[in-house]
Amino acid sequence: MIPDEILHREGFCYLNTRASHLLFVLRKDGRIVQANDSATRVTGDNIIGKNFCEVLVDFTWKADLHSFALDSSEEYIMSIGTVSGLPQSYYFTFQQVAEDIIAFGRLDVEELESMRKEILVLNQELNNATRELHKKNATLKRLNAEKNRFLGMAAHDLRKPIGLLMTYSGFLVEETADVLNSEHLGFLETIHASCGNMAQLVDDLLDVSAIEAGVFPLRLEHVNLAALFSASLEPNRVQACQKGVQLDVDCRGLSGAILDAAKIEQVIGNLVANAIEYSVPGAVVAVRLTCDDRFIRFFVQDHGSGILPEEVGQLFKPFQKASTVKTAGERSTGLGLLISRKIIDAHSGKIWVDSQPGQGSTFHFEIPAQGDNHRDTDEYPFDRLSI
Amino acid sequence: MISSQLYQEYLNCLLEGKRLDCTRIVQDLLDRDIPIKALYNDLFEKSLYRVGQLWEFNRISVAKEHLATAITEGLLNLVYPRLFELEHQHKGKRIVISCAANEFHQIGGKMVADICELNGWDAEFLGANMPLDHMLLHIQETKPDLVGLSLTVYFNMSSLKKGIEVIRSNFTHLDIFVGGQAFLWGGTEMLKHYSGVEYIPTLNDIEKSIKES
Repeated sequence: MIPDEILHREGFCYLNTRASHLLFVLRKDGRIVQANDSATRVTGDNIIGKNFCEVLVDFTWKADLHSFALDSSEEYIMSIGTVSGLPQSYYFTFQQVAEDIIAFGRLDVEELESMRKEILVLNQELNNATRELHKKNATLKRLNAEKNRFLGMAAHDLRKPIGLLMTYSGFLVEETADVLNSEHLGFLETIHASCGNMAQLVDDLLDVSAIEAGVFPLRLEHVNLAALFSASLEPNRVQACQKGVQLDVDCRGLSGAILDAAKIEQVIGNLVANAIEYSVPGAVVAVRLTCDDRFIRFFVQDHGSGILPEEVGQLFKPFQKASTVKTAGERSTGLGLLISRKIIDAHSGKIWVDSQPGQGSTFHFEIPAQGDNHRDTDEYPFDRLSI
Repeated sequence: MISSQLYQEYLNCLLEGKRLDCTRIVQDLLDRDIPIKALYNDLFEKSLYRVGQLWEFNRISVAKEHLATAITEGLLNLVYPRLFELEHQHKGKRIVISCAANEFHQIGGKMVADICELNGWDAEFLGANMPLDHMLLHIQETKPDLVGLSLTVYFNMSSLKKGIEVIRSNFTHLDIFVGGQAFLWGGTEMLKHYSGVEYIPTLNDIEKSIKES
């Protein structure tokens, strides 16, 4: 048998140096006068002389050591501020010895084990879910690419028969006006107009599928901006004239720029056409293009019915249309603004709209004048748009 | 592509729980277009076997072993965008990989699943501590060409045996392979009692095996 005295001495020595339990000797006022190595390691600080409350993370501020020490069999959960910054809970007992109080703190091993296992399992499940997510994302990307290929092929194959229908229905409208009665002539005109809409839709779908497939390269070239602006507006002038809308065009400081002329013409034409379509006869649509050393800035302003605030964020997404109706019932594919956005994105620019319901809308875009920092159309997410 | 010096640096960081340093090393390798297989074989597999050995010989604690494993599992997530988006030649074959019941070490099985994906197989990884009835149901629903069972801790061998027996009795002709660090301590002998069950020791061997099948 080992004598008690030796056991106590060795036990205390172990508790003082090796054990994971915490041991504090406290004065009546809570001042720490002695602590074992574990307490020093866990708190990571020189705690001798500090008040016991200072090493606790105690939101109640009610640690009454004397009342705790009245019953040394009672355990109190107390959290210690540790060196890692994460508080750690210990189960403390307090014992009055002469004038001092001895505080023992133990970890609940079962609780820790349970937490360790749960964290391990949760981490594994999270990692497995991440793997599944990456796998499904890759599958979706492949399916999306296939869909775009199909869309492009279908649109391409539809172009020719629609073109034929449009041409021949146009001939018939022109050449049978004297022969057909007004009802039948109306049928033909509807067929002809529908063919026009279908052709526009097919062209837009081809653009969208090319953009989505990442085969929408910019053909950057030195461009005379004044000439480009004038050419962009040609079809719009005819459209405005037919509808009785006045175009108020102004351009300032236009010089040379580096951009894809055909695509910027497409954007300007599309935005101005929209403004005309949402204007009533007699209204004025203001179109402005300015340029300085760094940026080309464009806006078109109408005085139509404007766009509801909750619809503004959806405008540049596929097949989104505002709830407001075009003044002459003009039709659209719902892809024009998406295509415009993609073209402006590809020019490293931004496109946005300011609109007040009942007062009208102003569509803006801004692109670098010298074609710098061009990027892929897919690199510019929707939420970066200033809309 | 992975020098012994770089491997040692990575292993040291892993054992010290330096997640960000491990991430830096792996990201740097990915940026330099290291083949995924080399990354798996020469860094992940090699270091994890070493970590496992150190634990088995009581040179490091369970906590350190778990931390090293969790760090590695997090690093696999860096590889996935590349792994799944590679244009593999799809073989039209499916493999289901799972850990035995009570086996909480899943990373080895997961890496096997990734290597199968890399070789054009559709590889589903069911996870750690997979209850047998769940595994059976999944096999029944997905009808894989092959099932892989992973075992890391030798003392769970009886769970693995039970898994093999139940799969074999329910799916007589389904090929099964087993692997994992546990077999470094033995256990391959008992596989002879089962038909269509093969022990495949390394990632290289699993690749060779599925290419032949």
